[in-house]
Amino acid sequence: MKDVISITGAGIICAIGNDKVSVLDSLRNRESGVRSVKYLETVHGELPVGEVQMSDDEMKAMLGLASDTVVSRTSLMGALAIKQALSQAGIEKTEGRRVALISGTTVGVMDVTEMEYHRNKAVLNVRDLPKGNECGKSTEQMAALAGLEDVELCTVSTACSSALNSIIVGAEMLRHSEADIVIAGGSEALSRFHLNGFNSLMILDGRPCRPFDADRAGLNLGEGAAFVVLQKDASRPLAYVSGYGNRCDAFHQTASSENGEGAFLAMTEALESAGLKASDIDYVNAHGTGTQNNDMSESRALSRVFGDNIPPVSSTKGFTGHTTSASGAIETVICLLAMQNDMIPANLGWEKPSPGLVQPSMGVENAVLNNVMCNSFGFGGNDSSLVLSRSVREDGTVDMPVAEYETVANVTIDDVAQLAELREFVSPMESRRMCTLMKASLLSSLRAAKEAALQCPDAVIAATSGGMLQTSIQFLEDMEENCETMLKPTLFMMSTHNTVASAIAIRLGCHGYNITYSQGEASSQWALRDARRLLESGKASSVLVTSFDESADGGFRSESMVIRKKL
Amino acid sequence: MEELVNELKKYLIEALNLEEMTPDDIDSDAPLFGEGLGLDSIDALELIVILDKNYGIKLSSPAEGKNIFRSIRTIAAYVAEHRTR
Repeated sequence: MKDVISITGAGIICAIGNDKVSVLDSLRNRESGVRSVKYLETVHGELPVGEVQMSDDEMKAMLGLASDTVVSRTSLMGALAIKQALSQAGIEKTEGRRVALISGTTVGVMDVTEMEYHRNKAVLNVRDLPKGNECGKSTEQMAALAGLEDVELCTVSTACSSALNSIIVGAEMLRHSEADIVIAGGSEALSRFHLNGFNSLMILDGRPCRPFDADRAGLNLGEGAAFVVLQKDASRPLAYVSGYGNRCDAFHQTASSENGEGAFLAMTEALESAGLKASDIDYVNAHGTGTQNNDMSESRALSRVFGDNIPPVSSTKGFTGHTTSASGAIETVICLLAMQNDMIPANLGWEKPSPGLVQPSMGVENAVLNNVMCNSFGFGGNDSSLVLSRSVREDGTVDMPVAEYETVANVTIDDVAQLAELREFVSPMESRRMCTLMKASLLSSLRAAKEAALQCPDAVIAATSGGMLQTSIQFLEDMEENCETMLKPTLFMMSTHNTVASAIAIRLGCHGYNITYSQGEASSQWALRDARRLLESGKASSVLVTSFDESADGGFRSESMVIRKKL
Repeated sequence: MEELVNELKKYLIEALNLEEMTPDDIDSDAPLFGEGLGLDSIDALELIVILDKNYGIKLSSPAEGKNIFRSIRTIAAYVAEHRTR
């Protein structure tokens, strides 16, 4: 029998509510959570944001922590959402069962790191920073805060699609019998790093955002966390995860392609894996950020998938703001609430149609939603799509062939002198924004692909503990020196952990599966496990796996390999 | 004006990290975006930072800079007219 993946519990905390009931109320009452900054310490009071309406201290109190405990807001929100999800799933003790917590985040505990740096920059050594740039740190913290013991921890970092990709990884782990219970989702707190980063890209709207509107002028940054509990063959699930797709736009580090190729491929794969036709989808929760570029590209992709019969579409970012890495899970839970309560949430802020743009739904109160699609796209072209269903067809067996595979190339780059070899593959213009670590990992990857005589791998998987550490430090310094104004956009766009996997995809024209793991020293193991799952299930016959890290004093190492199904 | 043109080229090379390039390699009249030098949307944002930090010129969006950023010479002409420092 085909493995059926059920959602048995869900938790959410975001600008429109601290639990499912309050979020549903706000959705029904069309009450936006986008407001003036209240909790984040920043000079940018002019930018509306979607903040969770609780202070760190209030969250600490809910979790039984002393107010002087130093812990990231990302971890606090994550722990609260995890506890809600476990409670709904009726899971109190996990003894004897294999449990995995998979969380998506981009800057993890950066809120704590940047505050320490801001207050103590005279004495703080930048070498203390590596831990502060590790995404996995927030996952460790939230597991401890939620009281999870003996749980496998995994962090996915694919920018704004991180949480949706966590759910996809969780479903695949269940299908491959690597776990009995998966808690998957994501968390991202508003931080000065993120707010200033997006501001440097000039894509923040000074007014409440208006996704898909002719006069849209950018996004509002939000924050929050959401997690779902995934299990196989549960008796009374909230819904089924019936299909999903993870693809790469392979176009540009921050811009989406005009024809929405990555989004189109992700939605198409999600439908195929669910065994559904486009006409079976009753509602699409769009990524719909409100930027000129995303909304046009996503509209084009929706037209390509659904033709003239686009189902009701809405972006709920007018309610929550763009909750970045957490958005995929937050919107998955919003989709669940919509299905359970027969409603379609409104695309708040929309007024004016524009040629080529989707005309979004302004809300429906008596909708029957059997199959719902949730889109989540990230910088680096990391585009993913999920399908939730009320019921699933159990249509026969799906063989999980045990394929044999082998490593056919393995290249390590750890010396600055080797970097000159990059010219064989990349022009000076193309490498103008690349830091040393980026060059090293791109070179090791392209060399490995060449040694394996592989033009384009079916999948690209990256693993890194601290990501682009030097670049992140530089952006923090820029933020302090220039008081949060006129910061270098290049530093922010190159600071995310997924830039390497994205650059490889762009260079090789690889639109296939693309993901980045960041779980301390276990990062590479997670990458290799994913590669094995892809090869075993026949989803890929060649996978490029790259791992890379640098130290604050300039040392670096990148190792890339090509793993292939044995011919 | 030639002095300003050269100064802008130096800022451009530094801010955009145009490796292996000297001011002489950049044609003052050639298009900066698309078929010319081949700059993109992120470079346009870096140009806005250059104008703000060095000349006190404030542009609120890349769209506003579209005509100004056609070539090094069009930037120089705009800077000469609008600079506040």
